[in-house]
Amino acid sequence: MAILKVEGLVKAYKDLKALDDVSFEFGKGILSILGPSGCGKTTLLRCIAGLEVPDEGSIYIDDKIQTSIHEAILVPPYSREIGFVFQSYALWPHMSVYKNVAFGLKLRNIPENEIRKKVESTLDLVGLPNLGERYPSQLSGGQQQRVALARSIAMEPRLILLDEPLSNLDAKLREEMRVELKKLIKKVGISALYVTHDQEEAFVISDIVIVMDKGKILQYATPDQIYNRPADQFVASFIGRSVLVEGKMLKVESERCQVTVPEFNHATIICHRPENAAAGAACKLVIRTGEIRLNSKRFDHTENVLEGSMNSREYRGGLTDHRIQVGSREIVVTSHKFCPMINIEGDNEKIFLHIDPSAISVIVDRPQAVPQQVGA
Amino acid sequence: MVKLAYRQGILIPLFSSILAGSLIVTPILIVLFRSITTTRLGAAAGFTVENYFRVFTDPQILPMLNNSLLYAAGAAALGTGLGALLGWIVARTNTPGKALVELMPLYPMLMPPIMKNIAWILLLAPKSGILNGFLHESLGIQEQVFNAFSLPAMIWVFGLTCVPLGYLFLLPVFLSFDPSLEESAYIAGSRPIHTTLRITFPLAVPAFLSAFVLNFLRGLRSFETPVLQGSPGGINVFVAKVYDSMSIEYNPGLATAYSSVLILVSILALVFYVRATRFSERYATITGKGYSVKVIDIGKWKYATFLAVFAYFLVGIAIPFVVLIVVSLIPYYDYETFMKFPANIDISNYYRVLKHPSFVSGLYNSLFLSLAIALTTVLAGIVMAFTIYRTKIYGSKVFEFIGTMPLAFPPLVLSLGLVLALIGTPAYNTLWALGVGLFVAYFPYALRNASGAIVNIHKELDEAAWVHGARWRHVFFKVTLPLLKPTVAGALFYIFIEAIRNIDVAVLLVAPGTEYGPVTLFEYFRVGQWAEAAAGGVIYLIILILAVSIAKFVFKIKFSL
Repeated sequence: MAILKVEGLVKAYKDLKALDDVSFEFGKGILSILGPSGCGKTTLLRCIAGLEVPDEGSIYIDDKIQTSIHEAILVPPYSREIGFVFQSYALWPHMSVYKNVAFGLKLRNIPENEIRKKVESTLDLVGLPNLGERYPSQLSGGQQQRVALARSIAMEPRLILLDEPLSNLDAKLREEMRVELKKLIKKVGISALYVTHDQEEAFVISDIVIVMDKGKILQYATPDQIYNRPADQFVASFIGRSVLVEGKMLKVESERCQVTVPEFNHATIICHRPENAAAGAACKLVIRTGEIRLNSKRFDHTENVLEGSMNSREYRGGLTDHRIQVGSREIVVTSHKFCPMINIEGDNEKIFLHIDPSAISVIVDRPQAVPQQVGA
Repeated sequence: MVKLAYRQGILIPLFSSILAGSLIVTPILIVLFRSITTTRLGAAAGFTVENYFRVFTDPQILPMLNNSLLYAAGAAALGTGLGALLGWIVARTNTPGKALVELMPLYPMLMPPIMKNIAWILLLAPKSGILNGFLHESLGIQEQVFNAFSLPAMIWVFGLTCVPLGYLFLLPVFLSFDPSLEESAYIAGSRPIHTTLRITFPLAVPAFLSAFVLNFLRGLRSFETPVLQGSPGGINVFVAKVYDSMSIEYNPGLATAYSSVLILVSILALVFYVRATRFSERYATITGKGYSVKVIDIGKWKYATFLAVFAYFLVGIAIPFVVLIVVSLIPYYDYETFMKFPANIDISNYYRVLKHPSFVSGLYNSLFLSLAIALTTVLAGIVMAFTIYRTKIYGSKVFEFIGTMPLAFPPLVLSLGLVLALIGTPAYNTLWALGVGLFVAYFPYALRNASGAIVNIHKELDEAAWVHGARWRHVFFKVTLPLLKPTVAGALFYIFIEAIRNIDVAVLLVAPGTEYGPVTLFEYFRVGQWAEAAAGGVIYLIILILAVSIAKFVFKIKFSL
């Protein structure tokens, strides 16, 4: 049974298509919607909440219809029984923490003592016991974030929607909170839809990730699949630091294929064979720079070893960025302090790069790019 | 299954807004309609351009336009300039004693405008005036040096009325100025005086411009100064002409035709105002970060600025106030009697005024109506702002236009429209008519206030209530209204103060039994009962000071900036 089903959602603002025929289904767990700003992810969330009316399409929560433009059905947001954690938290500044959390419960005519029990247990759950009498302005950013979450959880919704809930926190707190948020949501056992533009956050928090761009779903898959088998060029470049080069397939074997890359002095690179590989086809290689190995000496093996020269280096503490010229391209490779190539001293020195086939995603150029949905 | 359910929850705000909107639109349409039709009374008969023909062939039209513009622009320049200067002195200089005067430039707002006219006419009147009398009796100067019924005197008196607004607009600019803008000028080698002239003042120009245009608009619409000082001296402006067309020859067609010209000039000024404020947003020097601005040591000049502040205190507050009190306490006004004070002290004016039925009923009506109008406009303003900015009803933006429309119409013209609308109906000559007139005139302030506040309330606060189970009424009463509370208190107070001093809306709508206090003062003065007018004015001043004190202590409204 799907907790959430979205069918053919379209929403346009003048010329801009915020949602362009979006359809997906989602069972249980945490689903992240990942994409750059303006890709339509927040619009999608607001349509699901009923705050925004799509131009076309329908939305089901728990198999019950919520929005259907075709049938002219629009369940109001207050009847959808969902939770929503806003980017700004949207805590009502004139109400205490207790009143904020109790707000929705009071509207349901629940007896006062039950409300009190529920609010207190929820505040305990999010780690804010005894803060009920405080006002939102007296709380830190992280605490406000928890109150916003508590307010949604207390309603015992079928589905909780989170709109970039961590983007207002500083970097360190953000990393702590995302782990805690995941634990909390799992503990309560609600399904959650999590919108973010931060790839790492999406990977840490969710069971399934949707990558969106320009109102379209590009890929719907597990974090692992998205990282290792990006459906297209956009997904590949959006996920992690990577270099994109053009190439041409020379030879296709059963497991592997050989690609020549003009920009790397026509070097031949061996990659995993993509499904639609064909000798002579033009293709793009997405190389995740985090997985490139560096050495000042030639590696023992000969496959996928490129020769480059050091342009410059930036010291970042535990890490160092190396700007390396390979053919006509500059590649930035980050190395750890204990990396063996630390013995390189001067610039313009010769350096060798080894790229394992697993660090490369091959995308074969097709006449028209139909986004391919992998797995799920 | 509820089909498109949550759209139905907005019917109440929508209908309230439509009701308020039609109250506003009716008098306005009637003015425009009556200006192009023939009959003098009752229903309109045929189309005519005769009224406009009469207006535009009037040889007085060009001098009138000239007078109106000179008067409004002169007063706005004087008032805004003085207000800006006071703002800069208080915010940025080390003038001695400035902490005491931070709110002083705002005190004159409490004085009903007519009292300033009365005080200055008493001071500046050509023959009987106090200053001319003094020059004649004590110094033997035969010439009439001062003339209250001249264009410069009109500009002087209304200019003083314009000071608080200039001060209110400019003081925050000088106070919350980003100091790094000045600091970078210092580092570039600019001295404080140079920096003030080249950086600080130019950056205040947009705020100055919006205050100037707003004051200019107030000058065009103002009633007391043109009627009490302009008309007697033959300096005719449009507002006075509209009033004369109604009160002397009772010619609604002509009055509406003059009004239409006035409306046109007002709209032009309003368009300019909107542009000026848009322009000033680009200058955004105020970032809400709460800087503490540096005070500049202006050396010996601080005595000059001190004198400037003191001089303003004298002419803006002390002298008119003292003159009014003294005149209210002498049996009747002429120069000799005035100079005998305090030997001839006498409270019979107060006694007479308080026994006069039209003053007492006017006092009661103005208190009651101002309170009622403050409450209804503010509530209606919030509902309409909520409809415009929160319910997303298709076309609700039209209310923004309707609700701001009365700003383009001088209050006198609005009440003219209402008179024409109500003649022959049972509502004519009732308090209801007066109430509707005041409602229409003050609604834009309530709407603008509420819109500004609602727009500043993050939309997600409403949406959070929506998704957590709140319906329209819950969102409005539990989230929007409580968050608006501080703004609401300010608007209530402001509209009460404005309404209780009103003359230009009420003057055409009063009748025996439905008097309005300030209009009664106006009538006293017109028939030469200057001492009674002064006594009545002092009573109003006491009421207003009481109201401020109550608001300050009971509702905890802060009168700081």
